[in-house]
Amino acid sequence: MISSHILSWIVFLPAIGGLICLVAPKKQIKTIAVLASLATMLLSLTLFSTFLGGADDPTEVFGQSYGKLHHVERATWIELPGELKIEYFLGIDGLGFPLFVLTTVVSFLACLASWNFETWKVNKGIRAYFILFLLLETGMLGVFVSLDFFLFYIFWEVMLLPMYFLIGVWGGARKEYAAIKFFLFTLGGSVLMLVALVAMYFYSGAAIDQAGGSVASGYLSGSGTALTHGTFDLIELATNPTIQSYFSAVSTTFLGIKFAPIMFIFLFVGFAIKLPCVPVHTWLPDAHVEAPTPISMILAGVLLKMGGYGFLRLCYPIFPSGGQYWAFTLAMIGLVSILYGGFCALAQSDFKKLVAYSSVSHMGYVLLGIAVMTTAGFQGAMFQMIAHGISSPMCFFLVGVIYDRAHHREINRFGGLWLTMPKYGTLATIGFFASLGLPGLCGFIGEVWVVLGTFQAGSNPEMPWAYAMAVIAAAAVILTAGYILWLIRRVYLGTEREEYKGFSDTSSREMFILVPLAVLCIAMGIFPMQTVFNFTNGTLDLMLTMMNNGIVSVAM
Amino acid sequence: MEFAQSTAWDGIAVGEHLFAFSPMIALTVTMLAIVACPLLIGRGARTIGSVTVLGVFFALILCFRVGGVVADGGLSGLSTSPAEGILLVDNLSIGFQILLLVFLAGVILLWWAGSSETEKNAPEFFILLVGSALGMAMMVSTANLLMMVIAMETASLPSFALVGFDKTSRRGAEASLKYMIFGAVCAAIMLYGVSLIYGLVGSLSVPVIATYTVDQFMGGGNKLLLTVGLLCVFAGIAFKVSAVPFHFWCPDAFEGAKIEVTTWLSVVSKAAALVMLVRVLTFFSAAIPNAFAMSLLDPIVWTVAIVATVTMTLGNFAAYRQESVKRMLAYSSIAHAGYMLSAAAVLLHPSVAGSESPITALLGYVVVYLFMNLGAFGTVALVGWDTGSDRLDAFTGLIRRAPLLAIPMVMCLMSLVGLPVFAGFVAKWWVLVSLGKMGGTVGWVLAVVVVSNTLFSLYYYMRIVVKMTLKDDGQTPLRASPMGVGLVNICAIVLMVLFFAADPFRHMTERYSKNLVTASTLSSADAITVADSSPTATDPTAIERGGN
Repeated sequence: MISSHILSWIVFLPAIGGLICLVAPKKQIKTIAVLASLATMLLSLTLFSTFLGGADDPTEVFGQSYGKLHHVERATWIELPGELKIEYFLGIDGLGFPLFVLTTVVSFLACLASWNFETWKVNKGIRAYFILFLLLETGMLGVFVSLDFFLFYIFWEVMLLPMYFLIGVWGGARKEYAAIKFFLFTLGGSVLMLVALVAMYFYSGAAIDQAGGSVASGYLSGSGTALTHGTFDLIELATNPTIQSYFSAVSTTFLGIKFAPIMFIFLFVGFAIKLPCVPVHTWLPDAHVEAPTPISMILAGVLLKMGGYGFLRLCYPIFPSGGQYWAFTLAMIGLVSILYGGFCALAQSDFKKLVAYSSVSHMGYVLLGIAVMTTAGFQGAMFQMIAHGISSPMCFFLVGVIYDRAHHREINRFGGLWLTMPKYGTLATIGFFASLGLPGLCGFIGEVWVVLGTFQAGSNPEMPWAYAMAVIAAAAVILTAGYILWLIRRVYLGTEREEYKGFSDTSSREMFILVPLAVLCIAMGIFPMQTVFNFTNGTLDLMLTMMNNGIVSVAM
Repeated sequence: MEFAQSTAWDGIAVGEHLFAFSPMIALTVTMLAIVACPLLIGRGARTIGSVTVLGVFFALILCFRVGGVVADGGLSGLSTSPAEGILLVDNLSIGFQILLLVFLAGVILLWWAGSSETEKNAPEFFILLVGSALGMAMMVSTANLLMMVIAMETASLPSFALVGFDKTSRRGAEASLKYMIFGAVCAAIMLYGVSLIYGLVGSLSVPVIATYTVDQFMGGGNKLLLTVGLLCVFAGIAFKVSAVPFHFWCPDAFEGAKIEVTTWLSVVSKAAALVMLVRVLTFFSAAIPNAFAMSLLDPIVWTVAIVATVTMTLGNFAAYRQESVKRMLAYSSIAHAGYMLSAAAVLLHPSVAGSESPITALLGYVVVYLFMNLGAFGTVALVGWDTGSDRLDAFTGLIRRAPLLAIPMVMCLMSLVGLPVFAGFVAKWWVLVSLGKMGGTVGWVLAVVVVSNTLFSLYYYMRIVVKMTLKDDGQTPLRASPMGVGLVNICAIVLMVLFFAADPFRHMTERYSKNLVTASTLSSADAITVADSSPTATDPTAIERGGN
């Protein structure tokens, strides 16, 4: 039973844990929550076996074309016979898999990071905290495996409310402002997605009507898979040639504008806010600064990845011509995010805000890599997401560790912490160097791949600007090195300060969180193929092939 | 038992007609019983309440029984000529009456939880309440302009009195007066429109008027008077819906009235008017012969669409700065009327004309809206009764003072915003699907407007949530009656259930929005022979039923 519905079990296990927390005695709640997230993580690790053969025989794991899914679960949820069908449709491929596992890992570690809940400034409502935490985890996991657009949207929205409360109730001084800002920005992004959801359904229906009312499925074979009306199936929307040619046809318009570019933007806005990229990034520093440490870890480690995942799952495969059309704009936004985030980070005196702005900068690489639509760009963006998903929770936890002791985050008031807390100093160096992109650590591979991919795109006659962007993006690494090294010098190096002398080094719980993250940082830096690429490249390459075959240039 | 296809008043068994309208009759009897009760038993508030509840349940049972037999089509009766459509029964009218009665029971429960101990004038209160319910039941059961006016007045007059029911409240009196003056003017406008139309068409039956209108517009007849007449009628309906620019009464009346009355009016009086509007528009769309005629009627679509847009946007923005939660929710109810109106805008369009999907969407919205508002107003009521205030400040730290009230309130508010996993999302979703099905400029622009309004509305609903959950100034625990708390919690649970059971929910609302009374049901009445007492499917004299 578990093996045939493994994705459902993984997705809803945290929610079940949340339900148990609802009735459990107060003392047991923490344990239950940790156990639930641990069980979720262990269960998700079993998925590795599915993808292990990917390096030797990609077609075995990833299929001949985009759309090969594993552990598929399909059931009709809402159906108007002959008109509309919304499915409970879960499945996993090389795109969702690494992010799915990342989510369970980061959630488990963040749950452990909440273990000292009683010592927090706002330490009331432990029950509500862990219930919301676990509900949030369910929402996040659902996003990465749901392949029905409607279901995807539901999970996407389900995350909002728990996150709002987690920031708003247990956050810092300006928590209310930060929480409502997060809520408004994210909902603002997703309302247009809702219009796109309805529009894509009706336009795909129109495509099928035009083709005679029944069209063979683009990726499923066998009887009963033909489409007779519009669909919410994300894979179908991307792979069905009838729908694709209708979507990208010049004559297909939405409110007088070409369909593919406008839908691309409707979807893009929501994901760009989540990513976040300049100029819609302003919620992020506020949310991060005010959120409690474990929530910052989740925010940086998982929530930001949903933006990138959304680009790769929805925007590009379904509207490749839209991606082509907007390539320069998006790449430019990515580049500006890299630089702007970097300069802002350089200017921060708040430890957490610095890490937050560094996230904006790092996510800029993701957008740049995706926007140029090259193999290396896609792979690099994906790697960058995973790498950032490991290194930034680690950085936020490192900030949390020192905040628990010093109760402030002023970078300039720290100094010489390495001497006081040698173990902490060592781990901090690994974490921040990984974020910096030091060769041998995880941050390096993603950035290099993105820069290479961008450079590669320069040979495309339509993207002559890519050379310049590659050069600037590569040069921006200096900026990263600047703020990280300066940070390390101010906080960890220098002479030992009197006020921090009595600080205890990292406890065993903190070590338990930091060491796995540090190990992953190193492992991903040294074995990029074995840790990430082997699991993702198959799907990404097939997606690119499909997109390149299907692109019809649209002029607005 | 099954109805004979008996649409004519004379020549058929009166008993069948009486049965078909038995829910309304039951309400009338309930009113009489409330009059009789003080004479026979006593004026005790709870006695009267029990009598009313009994009557409501009886009417509800009758509704389900009648609903079982009208499943395949409608029935028109209580008139010398059935084509006049004075009173009719079909799935929609029965479905709405079920809703109305369920909601009435909910409102009485709320009253029971808070006011039953102090209420001195229970008989009067309940006569007015049930009287307005009767009016609303009639509003949805007619295709005749005169009857529409009468039904609206039957619903409105008790409502005016209900708003000012608390005789010691100055604000209540002011609200009542405002409501009444506004209502009287709008009723006069509507009557004027009806008289114009009657003068032109020579009939009060909506299908006849619809056909006449389409002919006139296609044939280039006298359009000006007709348009003025129709606009006047729509103005009367818009007043009940509280659509902009006829919404001014709404915040004042809702703020001044007792909370039970506010709850009552916020949902059903608007919903009844919307259903009435839907019925009118359905007859119009059925009268449209081709796309050319449709294009001539486009102004009606645009009018409804623009009114919907302005209504929801204005409602949401006006709610921003309110300090009284009651008033805030009053503006929110204006906004929701706008959402529902946008589904009505779709009705006339050729791509959906004849399709039930907008009506289903609208009915589903009303169902969901009923529970969200009952939950939200219920919480406002319980907080108000304990603290004596409906200000936002009274909600401070509610999550600690009364968690069992604060949590369902958050759920109801999020449902009002339209977030999953609450039914408010499903309701909005079906409206959006209707709009998408219509497509074109109107459809997609309205869709964008609706979703943008979701975003606008988030902020003010969140103000309440913020007060309840994030602020805490150590106020004392709230004393709330268990019955009221139970009611609010049930509403919240229903909202979640309706979300996950979106499929059965949709099919249920579909059942009550299909096979409605159509123009052909009404006009073919002359040709209908009355079946004998036991008609069978093969009986040639049992004529095909109305609807499709």
